[in-house]
Amino acid sequence: MIKDMIDKQVLELKKLWMNKRQLLFQLLNLAMIVFSALMIWKGLMFVTKSESPVVVVLSGSMEPAFQRGDILFLNNAVEQVGVGDVVVFKIKDRDIPIVHRILKVHTKPDNTVELLTKGDNNRVDDRGLYAPGQLWLKREDILGKAVGTLRYVGMVTIALNDYPVLKYVLVGMMGLFVLTSKEG
Amino acid sequence: MHTVWVRLNAVVFFGLSALLGFSVLAAISKIGHANRHVPDVKTLKLKRLKSLKSHGGVDRALLNFDLHVDLNPAFHWNIKQLFVYVVASYKSDKNKNNQIVLWDKIVEATDPPESKIIKQDSIFVKYALVDQGADLRGRDVELQIMWDHMPLTGLLYMGEQDKSTVSSFTLPYDYTSGR
Repeated sequence: MIKDMIDKQVLELKKLWMNKRQLLFQLLNLAMIVFSALMIWKGLMFVTKSESPVVVVLSGSMEPAFQRGDILFLNNAVEQVGVGDVVVFKIKDRDIPIVHRILKVHTKPDNTVELLTKGDNNRVDDRGLYAPGQLWLKREDILGKAVGTLRYVGMVTIALNDYPVLKYVLVGMMGLFVLTSKEG
Repeated sequence: MHTVWVRLNAVVFFGLSALLGFSVLAAISKIGHANRHVPDVKTLKLKRLKSLKSHGGVDRALLNFDLHVDLNPAFHWNIKQLFVYVVASYKSDKNKNNQIVLWDKIVEATDPPESKIIKQDSIFVKYALVDQGADLRGRDVELQIMWDHMPLTGLLYMGEQDKSTVSSFTLPYDYTSGR
């Protein structure tokens, strides 16, 4: 059955290759989808002032509030973060941002802040996670404050991360789809 | 061309849209709930200062407090849990404001209603009141309870004890090791 399907797809691709006008149209279609996704992402980045407006929870350190695979929407346009806020922060020389809750806020006379965070499900605060010698987080370490959540949607991302091959398969399939499917 | 793929794609896409639609509906169904239904904070005050010491160069206070609060009103069907925390705030020479969480608790929506009423005397702090320097002596400290609504899906929002009912106390001018 799968071979049958692949044959069909190949046939469609061949047909498409002959019909240059159709090919161009489908390619434009594909480009439009890619660029609208990019536009939405960049638009969100602009509105939220966050370099990553949507993140997927990767660990269980905030359970039961957030589980692996939940999606968080971040807002970094807030001037001040307060005690108790769930924030996403980045540690120097570490790739993966962390979602935890603010435990301490020390506001300096010039309104800068020094913060300490902790995961709801962790026993101790995050000092051990920070860069060596780092005692406090600054406002600029914070990528955004969590303002909303959607459950389970991030599972796809986790699957894609755990099995990188899946990424190419999925993208390839989607590309093929857009190319070979016809309107109506 | 109606292959399996096209159908699968349609089903998955429709499923996702429906999920998103319901999530949004769930989220907007309870907008404004927090304005009408606020947890009833009866008491939050210092019970006993256990100690105020210099601990490795910084001041550290340990204390007990009384907390009586009914959290039931804050719950509705889109709330997964409430994160309740007691915040101590004070001013120091170095800092304009210091806010330190002393105690927190996760109250889940599945807990029975009576366990959503916290009525405890002399709760010992989970996290010590630690200053950034040695500047706790003689400071006025405010205790305030706050809570974070964690939804099943949708927006997170905060609530806090009315400022007019917030209690405060003054730390002693000398180090004490408690009674």
